[in-house]
Amino acid sequence: MAKLKVEDLARIKEKTRRMTVLRDGAGKAKITVHMGTCGIASGAREIMSALLKEMKDKDVKDVIVTTSGCAGLCSREPMVTVELKGSAPVKYVDLTPEKIREIFQKHVLQGEIVKAYALAVGSERMF
Amino acid sequence: MATGKTQAPKKTKSKAFRTHLLICAGTGCVSNHAFDVRDALEKEIKKCNLDHEIQVITTGCHGFCERGPIVHVQPDDIFYQSLSVDDIPHIVEEHFLKRRPVQRLMYKPPEAESVIPKMSDIDFYKHQRLIVLKNRGLIDPENIDEYIAYDGYTALAKALTRMKPEEVVDEVKKSGLRGRGGAGFPTGVKWELCRNQKEDVKYIVCNADEGDPGAFMDRSILESDPHSVLEGMAIGGYAIGANEGFIYVRHEYPLALKLINRAITQARAYGLLGNNIFEKGFKFNVHVIQGGGAFVCGEESALLRSIMGRRPEPVQRPPFPVKKGLWGKPTNINNVETWANVAPIISNGSQWFANIGTPTSKGTKIFSLVGKIKNTGLVEVPMGTTLGQIIYDIGGGSTTKSKIKAVQTGGPSGGCIPAKDFGIPIDYESLSEAGSIMGSGGMIVMDQNTCMVDVARYFMNFLKDESCGKCFTCRKGTQRMYEILDDICRGEGTLEELELLEELAHVVLDSTMCGLGQTASNPVLSTLRHFREEYIEHIVNKRCPAGICKELVGAPCQSNCPLGTEAWRYVAHIARGEYEDAYIAIREANPFPSICARVCNHPCEENCKARIIEGEPIAIRALKRFVCDHVDPGIYKPERMLSVDENGARIAVVGSGPAGLTTAHFLSLRGYRVTVFESEDRPGGMMLSAIPSYRLPRETLEKEIASLIDDNITLRCNASLGVDFTIQSLFKEGYSAVFLALGAHKSRRLGIPNEDVEGVYPSIQFLRSFNLEAKQSAAGHVGVIGGGNSALDAARVALRQRQVKSVTIFYRRSREEMPAFEEEIEAAIQEGIKLEILVSPIEILSEDGRITGVRFIRNELGEVDSSGRRRPVPVKGTEFTVPLDTLVVAISEGSDIDCVAVASAMRIETTAWDTIKADFDTLCTNQPGVFAGGDVIRGPNTVVEAIADGKKAAVMIDRYLRKEELKKPAEVVLPEIYVEPPARDEEEILQPKRVALPRAPVEWRKRGFAEVEMSLTEEEAKCEAGRCYRCDLEFTRRKKEVESVIQEKVETR
Repeated sequence: MAKLKVEDLARIKEKTRRMTVLRDGAGKAKITVHMGTCGIASGAREIMSALLKEMKDKDVKDVIVTTSGCAGLCSREPMVTVELKGSAPVKYVDLTPEKIREIFQKHVLQGEIVKAYALAVGSERMF
Repeated sequence: MATGKTQAPKKTKSKAFRTHLLICAGTGCVSNHAFDVRDALEKEIKKCNLDHEIQVITTGCHGFCERGPIVHVQPDDIFYQSLSVDDIPHIVEEHFLKRRPVQRLMYKPPEAESVIPKMSDIDFYKHQRLIVLKNRGLIDPENIDEYIAYDGYTALAKALTRMKPEEVVDEVKKSGLRGRGGAGFPTGVKWELCRNQKEDVKYIVCNADEGDPGAFMDRSILESDPHSVLEGMAIGGYAIGANEGFIYVRHEYPLALKLINRAITQARAYGLLGNNIFEKGFKFNVHVIQGGGAFVCGEESALLRSIMGRRPEPVQRPPFPVKKGLWGKPTNINNVETWANVAPIISNGSQWFANIGTPTSKGTKIFSLVGKIKNTGLVEVPMGTTLGQIIYDIGGGSTTKSKIKAVQTGGPSGGCIPAKDFGIPIDYESLSEAGSIMGSGGMIVMDQNTCMVDVARYFMNFLKDESCGKCFTCRKGTQRMYEILDDICRGEGTLEELELLEELAHVVLDSTMCGLGQTASNPVLSTLRHFREEYIEHIVNKRCPAGICKELVGAPCQSNCPLGTEAWRYVAHIARGEYEDAYIAIREANPFPSICARVCNHPCEENCKARIIEGEPIAIRALKRFVCDHVDPGIYKPERMLSVDENGARIAVVGSGPAGLTTAHFLSLRGYRVTVFESEDRPGGMMLSAIPSYRLPRETLEKEIASLIDDNITLRCNASLGVDFTIQSLFKEGYSAVFLALGAHKSRRLGIPNEDVEGVYPSIQFLRSFNLEAKQSAAGHVGVIGGGNSALDAARVALRQRQVKSVTIFYRRSREEMPAFEEEIEAAIQEGIKLEILVSPIEILSEDGRITGVRFIRNELGEVDSSGRRRPVPVKGTEFTVPLDTLVVAISEGSDIDCVAVASAMRIETTAWDTIKADFDTLCTNQPGVFAGGDVIRGPNTVVEAIADGKKAAVMIDRYLRKEELKKPAEVVLPEIYVEPPARDEEEILQPKRVALPRAPVEWRKRGFAEVEMSLTEEEAKCEAGRCYRCDLEFTRRKKEVESVIQEKVETR
């Protein structure tokens, strides 16, 4: 990798944002599994495996699965954030492999939020 | 939609504009080119000559980042979202020139029909403000591109390309950032000191040796946004003139270690670490050092020694590390959170940062919120947020019905702050004033089931292990403090030891070298400062109020029962199917088993281990009910002293409620003759007049009372104190002692207009006229004011009256705070009673002297009051009227004012709360030979407390008549009798949850006054009893083992 110049930052940003923000990237949805220590301790790896298996079984390719750190509300881990292209992200809490399969089927594939497991929609307030 | 804080527009000139365009400049929007949009807007507005009419204002985050860039048009209140530069000419022409708002770009609430709340509406997230944690849960920490996508490394670029090192230092100084590791030293000042050292080699250190129990802020930052720390350090290195940095992470943080190492590799690959960064000639490298996990390594001089491979012992300062640190070179050490604050400050400017927080503490602070709290987790709030906001709003309050009593901040070196002080805003100074410290941000919430002495012992145990041992006073002092605390917890402490503990704490504080030693006394000093009475209770009364210290508590169910009932014992017998033994265990302690099995407030379940561990206590009361329903009371034959002397002492008991009858019963067993005076025509007192028959069937009540009246006891009904007899006349008639147990028979008034119109009843009067005279006073739509058991009783009685259409309970605080038993509230709701919470009555409306309705005002929960609960505060403009035909007022009962007046006419001292004044330990009043107990001295209270007073009165009167000393020294009562646990198989041990209390069907209940709560089946009872943790075994089994060893020895001899 070549050394970055200041201008490169904007280029990487533009490129990555296109992917992460789902504006016109390849994915139709992004699923973020929160895998801080608290998440892993409450079973986030199982959630991740169940999710990947589900994608493989259903042969879904246009969904981005990624990881991130703790979402702050450690007592409700494992948590994931599901973001469909063009809609606000939805945070799900207290997950189990069964629940994530249901969420994948209903929310990610059919676009229907699974209210029973959802905590909230939107993002956190930054400064 | 402007949910975020809108900053006041900059006052350039005081010109009025017709329209304001608020453009969001939060990170989310800025990274979506909000500034380009702003520039385009301004340009376009000028072009159309609208710049005198329309002003563009840059604001803080609107909290709707995923829709950015956002423009909020005021006063039209139109919200444009996802704007791009290309949209601007169109908007300006259509909306601002032609006044036709552009539908296409407006915000349409996508979840309008959805019930899922927005993040900005959820209490946990609503009050947080993210600076350091802005990327949490958002970016992939293993991917540097994602960090860059959210403006990562632009602060470093800005510092290197546009700022001189001293300007960076100055910016940090001006921001007011202070060290987040605990001590709060101004970061910029430290940097400047280090920068000014005339040395070629300097170092930067990041302290990530987070060692406090319950703290995980630093770990979480490293895990969710490692680059933010690296960027901060690189900027620091540039400012100070250091080319090398060290991150000291404890090895217990494997994920944090992995992620920070990966981040360093990626940053190196991009040339963001290494030589000639951004081609500006600045070189900076970072090394990760794994620590062994010693708490003392959080102390900077010990940490530096550890990095250099030496034994981590603090060294004398000065010289401070900024002068002589690693390998004798100037070293600047800051904690993780401090470093993570640097990049945002450089990006957004010192002024922006200095605008957040309090005058002395700027920015935000991260806390790890743990303990007895609903939402545990990591929160970032602006400085100046109150503890109450963090604990109640963000944390969601207590996990159980137990009230929160204190919060421990700052880890082992911090201190406890009691609930009454939760109104203090968080900054470095106010926390110190309250006897704690900011520390690195651990926050452990404690409820009524936390013993403060035990907490101090826990932290002292930690500190004595973690003391490095260099200073004698710390090494030995923490050890001795621990031993004293341990003594107190075991009931072996003395008041002299307590004095020694305090002295020792001050000696350790004054005579140790490093931060660990100097703050090691904090757990002791702060708990002593706020909770000294708990220490005294342990030492003098040998009682642990929280029910934690097991040497004092024994079995919590037993120690929490005012009667000392061995609940564990009868539960154990039930599990074995030995119901008669169970009944005897109950009856030995309590003369009213069947009554308590129905109406007791079961304090035994309060501290039950099953409740603390699983959240669901053993259904002890229901088990008692099962036994009482299955066993003939006749099997219990109390031992009675035979020597009833015809000329022996006679005792007068005034009042035939639970206290009076209990005293009469136990005095009779001791061979005294007792006369019980009752003003009504039947005995029973408050049990009869206040408790409805659907909770306590009259037959059960009468049977149990009858079983206690023996030939030593004479009952005289329709005899009122002050009318038919006086205290003086009783003594004149030859009674040797008098026990006053008159109960508490009057409700408090609301103190609002029209309280005396027809149709308004005090609850006690309402219940009494129904229970004693079968009068149905309620009709139509009924309102009940209050949230206690009396309110619930009144509401449920009203519901069962013929003329009643509906019943609503109005309570001023929240549902969780209703003092009534949870099962009563549940049953009431089942029966169709409505609850209106957070409302207060302001006026009773009437017509022709009869109530027509009540005017209420809604409350919101305000600041925390002295009870540690949030005070209900009326909200102006929320008044509303409820049409009502009957109103029952059930706010706290006072005792019968007439009775108290009579008592005081007989020279018995009374209190300001209209109760008789008596010593709670001996029940003596100011007159010799006159004792008083139950509600008349305590105010409205429970049946079981009244029975306890009755038992105590019998003992005290007996001692008084024998001319013995009245006060008994405190003693610890521990479980004694061993009951073998039944053999159970695996499946039974994995027992299900607490049994559901069986109740009669709702429809059937509403029609009459038949008993609501039913008995458990035998199977259910055995199963429930099997859930018991058997806290007694620790004591009884040990005793049994010792006994069998002795037995063996005797036999072999």
